[in-house]
Amino acid sequence: MSSVPASAFLALALILFCIGLYGALTKRNTVIVLISIELMLNAVNINLVTFSKYGLNPSITGQIFALFTISVAAAEAAVGLAILISLYRAKKTVNIDEMDIMKH
Amino acid sequence: MTFSGEFLAFMGLALVAIIGGVLLLNLTKVVHMVVALIFTFVAIAGIYVLLSAEFVAAVQILIYSGAITIIMLFGIMLTKHDDESEPKTGKWRKLLVFLGIAGFAFAVYIGIYNFNIVQVPTTLHENNTMQIGKALYSKYIIPFELTSALLLVALVGSIILAKNEKKEGDSE
Amino acid sequence: MGLSTKTGRCQALLGFDKIRVVPGTARRGIVIMMENAWLIPLFPLLSFLILLLFGKRLKEASAYVGILFTLASLVYSILVLFERFSEPTYGTNFEWLTIGDIHLTAGFEVNQLNALMLVIVSLVSFLVHTYSKGYMNGDERFPVFYAYLGLFTFAMLGLVISPNLLQTYIFWELVGVGSFLLIGFYFYKEEAKAAAKKAFIMTRIGDVGLFIGMILLFWQTKSFEYSEIFKAVDAGAVSGTMITLTAILIFIGAVGKSGQFPLHTWLPDAMEGPTPVSALIHAATMVAAGVYLVAALFPLFQASKTALLTIAVIGAFTAIFAASIGLVQTDIKRVLAYSTVSQLGYMMLALGSAGYVAGVFHLMTHAFFKALLFLAAGSVIHAVHTQNIEEMGGLWKKLKFTGPLFLIGTLSISGVPLFSGFFSKDEILAAAWEGGHPILFFLALIAAFMTAFYMFRLFFMVFTGKPRTEMKNVHESPANMTYPMMLLGVLAIVAGYVNTPWFGSFLGDWLVDGNPRLGHAHVEGPIWIMIAATVVSLLGIFMAYLMYYKRSLARNWLSGTGDTLHTILTNKYYVDEFYQLTVIAFTKGLSYFLRFIDVFLVEGLVKGVVGIVQGLGRTGSRMQSGQVQTYGAVAFIGLALLAVIYALTGGYLR
Repeated sequence: MSSVPASAFLALALILFCIGLYGALTKRNTVIVLISIELMLNAVNINLVTFSKYGLNPSITGQIFALFTISVAAAEAAVGLAILISLYRAKKTVNIDEMDIMKH
Repeated sequence: MTFSGEFLAFMGLALVAIIGGVLLLNLTKVVHMVVALIFTFVAIAGIYVLLSAEFVAAVQILIYSGAITIIMLFGIMLTKHDDESEPKTGKWRKLLVFLGIAGFAFAVYIGIYNFNIVQVPTTLHENNTMQIGKALYSKYIIPFELTSALLLVALVGSIILAKNEKKEGDSE
Repeated sequence: MGLSTKTGRCQALLGFDKIRVVPGTARRGIVIMMENAWLIPLFPLLSFLILLLFGKRLKEASAYVGILFTLASLVYSILVLFERFSEPTYGTNFEWLTIGDIHLTAGFEVNQLNALMLVIVSLVSFLVHTYSKGYMNGDERFPVFYAYLGLFTFAMLGLVISPNLLQTYIFWELVGVGSFLLIGFYFYKEEAKAAAKKAFIMTRIGDVGLFIGMILLFWQTKSFEYSEIFKAVDAGAVSGTMITLTAILIFIGAVGKSGQFPLHTWLPDAMEGPTPVSALIHAATMVAAGVYLVAALFPLFQASKTALLTIAVIGAFTAIFAASIGLVQTDIKRVLAYSTVSQLGYMMLALGSAGYVAGVFHLMTHAFFKALLFLAAGSVIHAVHTQNIEEMGGLWKKLKFTGPLFLIGTLSISGVPLFSGFFSKDEILAAAWEGGHPILFFLALIAAFMTAFYMFRLFFMVFTGKPRTEMKNVHESPANMTYPMMLLGVLAIVAGYVNTPWFGSFLGDWLVDGNPRLGHAHVEGPIWIMIAATVVSLLGIFMAYLMYYKRSLARNWLSGTGDTLHTILTNKYYVDEFYQLTVIAFTKGLSYFLRFIDVFLVEGLVKGVVGIVQGLGRTGSRMQSGQVQTYGAVAFIGLALLAVIYALTGGYLR
């Protein structure tokens, strides 16, 4: 039996998620926003793995799911960065405030 | 609650992860932020180990601390990373977002606080990688293959995205 | 309520369901003419429609259209009148609307008064149509003029054959519209525009009274029909107070239309319209509609002593009031206008003194001689191109026809014996005396003196003496203008003989035949009344002769220009100014207040709403910055709020 309660892991995940969210919503640099999103995904992974061990029905599924998340996140990071770079070529900036073509 | 080794390890890792996150928010140089985040990712890998998920921990280190961080660093290098005089986000918005997050955290924390499930002994730590392999290649074979397709698409997509502009630039 | 039981309850929905026969007279023979009397108003309507559609193409020929159709009306009216001499009243109704238990009917009725009015209206209208052919010659909107005349004639004819108040009211308003259009015919003239508006609004004030009275009567008697109303009144189904109230309210409508005292100011101003219009509308027909209305509802008025007294007092006051203003006016048409107001006052006085026959009789004779006077005045204006009598003079020799015809009219209105006005005025004076109003009688006598004086003042100033200004190209009017005048001149002389104390009172006997409610056919007054009437009129003529012909009496003998009295009279007792200072000022104040409410309250509200919406829109469009991060932040804050609420309440609002 673990001496660390499940809620401790969950609380850690919550804190990391909130940090990531805060970064995603307030940071100006688009790269940092992307990184913050990765951090949020990580927090979710912690949750998945925690429940895979301490859930009502512990099983390997949680870990598998975390693996899928990681691979999707990797793909997302690559595509996101590609978009970022092409945007940067067009607008010569990574400042998120200036990326407002959706307005038009 | 005893001060077992596991507990100490958890506290240490959690502390590192949170400090990394906070540094991410508070550092000014973009590169430093990414470096601070590496600490977080590694700490999270440690947390995975504590949760009997060695394979996930390994993947975490490989993918996050390795691949993604490097990609991000490349992204930073390729763009204007030393632009520190960027306009600050409005104070009101920051405050509002902070309050929102605090409220959200509070709401979720109530859920966590009431989380009370009796721990069931598991065998996850025994041959963890083999278990994952068995599950992936039997039960989750289709999602697994789909993931490979997704990764391929992402690869091709990002190459095209990054290349397309260049072509236009050439033609112009 | 056995009274209001309609004889034709079980009638077919549409179609002539009911033939009412005045009780006491048997139905004899076939009444072809009267059965189709409803055709009479349709002729001018047809003329109106034709001219409206094809007027532009017909140009001058449109006059013939109008003349022909009104001639048809006239012929038909005369036939109906003659048939009515031998046949009883014919009326027919058909169901128009059925609302619950209430049946509104529409139809027509040919009784004595209506038949007489039909002839008067169609005759004057026909003559005016003919006359206008010459008078309006060359006017750009010639067809429009004839179209308006057609509309007016239609409305007036419709008015006089209406068997119920509702129909009367509809035509009453239509007449008002016709009058409005015709007064404002020269709409490019500011005065004409103002006069048209004034006429419309002033008469509308009266119409409100009429409308309220009408609705009250309907409320009390459950019917708009004259006969039903009279039945209810006779049976005492309506309380005395209510009768007085409704009668006076309806009389207010008549006051507006007939230019009686408080609402008289529009009539002189209405002279801005073309002169034939003045002759038709503001002398012979429309202004007489008020008198007609009182006459048509006479049994109702008779049921209330107070109402009758009110009518008599207002009539007498108007008679002398307008006559005194007429003494000093210098515009030929305005003198005639005030004389019209004064004569209408006479008719009201007659009706108010229970002299039904006298009132209707004077209405008829007045229609003839006043139309004659107006047409003659129009002929004068046509010749000299001015309306100011100070600039005329010595026209007797130049206008060979107009002069004598005008003299006939003048003699008639002045009440010189043997002319029609003499008989009718005598009737009125006798009615006033016998009606027990000695004060009103003397007022009327003084008014008669004034009438004679100012009419002959007008005559002498226009036709005798030396021309006061140089007048070129003075020529007699064309034949189509003089012939109508001649016909009217003949009528102005002979029309009085239908009802005289010497040769018998045919008109009176006929008018009250079968209707004992209407009073005596002839009021036998003391012989001195006739002598007094003759004396005052001759005295008035003599004074005018001295002052304006012989000039042996200075014009400022009694009151010169600049005197207080003269100033007051020239300014028409300052009634207009009084209205300006009181009613109009009050209305303006009220309007400003309402405008204030409108600007600040209503518009403020509107602007407030607009501002809120615009603000929201502007904020929204500013929010629509295109920055995904902001969107995310907003969406997340919303989510967080929901999450907090959920966490605090557990999902239930307690």
